Amino acid sequence: MLRIQNLDCGYGRMKVIDGVDFEVGAESVGLFGPNGAGKSTLIGAVMGMVKPWKGSIELDGQRIDGAETYAIARMGVALVPQERELFPGMSVYDNLVLGAAYIPHAKDDIPTQLEKVFTLFPILKERRTQCAGTMSGGQQRMLAIGRALMSKPRLLILDEPSLGLQPSIVAEVFEVLKRLKSSVSILVTEQNVRESLKAIDRGYVLENGRIVLKDSAEGLQTNPYVIKSYLGI
Amino acid sequence: MIVKRRVAIIAALSIAAMTALIVWKPTVLIYGLQAAGLYAAVAIPMGLVLGIVHIVNLAHGECMMLAAYAAYFGCKALGMDPLVAILPTAIVTAIFGWVVFQLTIRRALKAPELNQLILTFGLAIAFSQAINLIFTSQTYKMPLEYVSASMDIGDISFGVWSFVFVAVAIIFAYGLTFFLTKTMTGKAAVAVGQNPRGAAIVGIDVYRTYGLVFALALALVGAMGALFLTKSAIFPGVGSPFTMKSFCLIAMAGIGNIPGILGASVLLGVAENFLRAFRPTRDWAEIVFFVLIIVVILARSLKGRKS
Ligand SMILES: Nc1ncnc2c1ncn2[C@@H]1O[C@H](COP(=O)(O)OP(=O)(O)O)[C@@H](O)[C@H]1O
Ligand SMILES: [Mg+2]
Repeated sequence: MLRIQNLDCGYGRMKVIDGVDFEVGAESVGLFGPNGAGKSTLIGAVMGMVKPWKGSIELDGQRIDGAETYAIARMGVALVPQERELFPGMSVYDNLVLGAAYIPHAKDDIPTQLEKVFTLFPILKERRTQCAGTMSGGQQRMLAIGRALMSKPRLLILDEPSLGLQPSIVAEVFEVLKRLKSSVSILVTEQNVRESLKAIDRGYVLENGRIVLKDSAEGLQTNPYVIKSYLGI
Repeated sequence: MIVKRRVAIIAALSIAAMTALIVWKPTVLIYGLQAAGLYAAVAIPMGLVLGIVHIVNLAHGECMMLAAYAAYFGCKALGMDPLVAILPTAIVTAIFGWVVFQLTIRRALKAPELNQLILTFGLAIAFSQAINLIFTSQTYKMPLEYVSASMDIGDISFGVWSFVFVAVAIIFAYGLTFFLTKTMTGKAAVAVGQNPRGAAIVGIDVYRTYGLVFALALALVGAMGALFLTKSAIFPGVGSPFTMKSFCLIAMAGIGNIPGILGASVLLGVAENFLRAFRPTRDWAEIVFFVLIIVVILARSLKGRKS
């Protein structure tokens, strides 16, 4: 599905991602690391928002590094950004519909996709006429996830989906991720390693722009370094 | 609730003022509304570009001037009436707008705002100077009978042709609102205006959308150029006051507020014609736009400081 090889990228002259090899197959993959490690930057590179300096990014064998963000989205990569990036002045309904309207393989199935999203997040159905910008942070996160799912993605990328949410909603979000696992490849970055390990198959640890560790979920859970630095036991 | 009450008060006051005007100086109201129609119809497309592309197009009035010249010489060559030229002019200016966007504005979208202003200001100068070089500063006018149609009510008599601008302003306002809120392309344009990053993430080609919106705005301004030609003489500088006035109207209405542009236009059109109706204040009419915009901006910043 997604394959990143020997990737370097950054901002201006500052290198943020340094020789990263990374892969997501038909599975759920976690990307962990402290604040500022470069998780969002790596995702930005996948989405065409940060231009790669070196190395390659492939989606099903096709090079996508250097492609425009909208073209990558149309190929079936959906992003739930850390900052959500909703359309604040538009209704929940319009936000969701726009999630699919410009995706060739999804634009004809908008009603069925809406039903699926409303089943996952009943609150969105209740609030479908409300202005997205007036919703709470948790509801906006659900809307961002719903909007991404509208596009029938092959690869769903979530950048810190639990950031700033209260525990009950964090649990709900991870519950949804577990339910989605069987139907879509998932890449999720998190600082909440404990919760996300339950929802993923494999994980990478990124520190200072380098992959320092990769292992299965069980492997990470029992790894002394992960336990010390990320699980806080 | 408080906002609603304030709107009601403003509406009541304006209705009272209008009624007083009808009784006292009916022609001020009539010519004021006609001027308002013209101002609004020209300002709405500029507001569209500012609201979605986030560019202040200081060449906006000059684009209308170019359209009017194109319509004039097209009409002369083909023996057409400017009204017939509206659609062809709109198509030509839309294409022109697309090209101008791709060649210039697109490259400045990530530049600091000042550079963008300098760019569109430069375009304005280039357009009016180019016309000046080719056609000199001579004025051109279409001799048309129907524009002098007039109407008598009681003992007052007034020209009615300029009501066409009111109709066009209303059509532009409603048409655009419909397009932006009810069609998918329009919603995508609004989405791009609200959050270009979010729009790209959902597969919308942001730059293409900007180009289309700019072309659409130029189509509207092109149509206005042909219509303007029915009523007015044209010369290289004829567009530039419209740039400034449109900008004032948009600033008063607030970005993205199309009905607000209609309201602001009525206020300014009537105020202008009110001053023009009295000999001692006649020459003040030209600055009423700028006085009112200063008042509005001051009021807004005072309100902002309070809250
Ligand atoms: N738009 C940007 N411009 C310049 N530097 C940035 C930008 N975004 C992030 N950075 C820097 O890149 C580094 C990695 O940031 P980021 O990818 O957001 O980390 P993470 O998502 O892991 O917290 C940080 O040092 C951050 O300051
Ligand atoms: Mg981040």
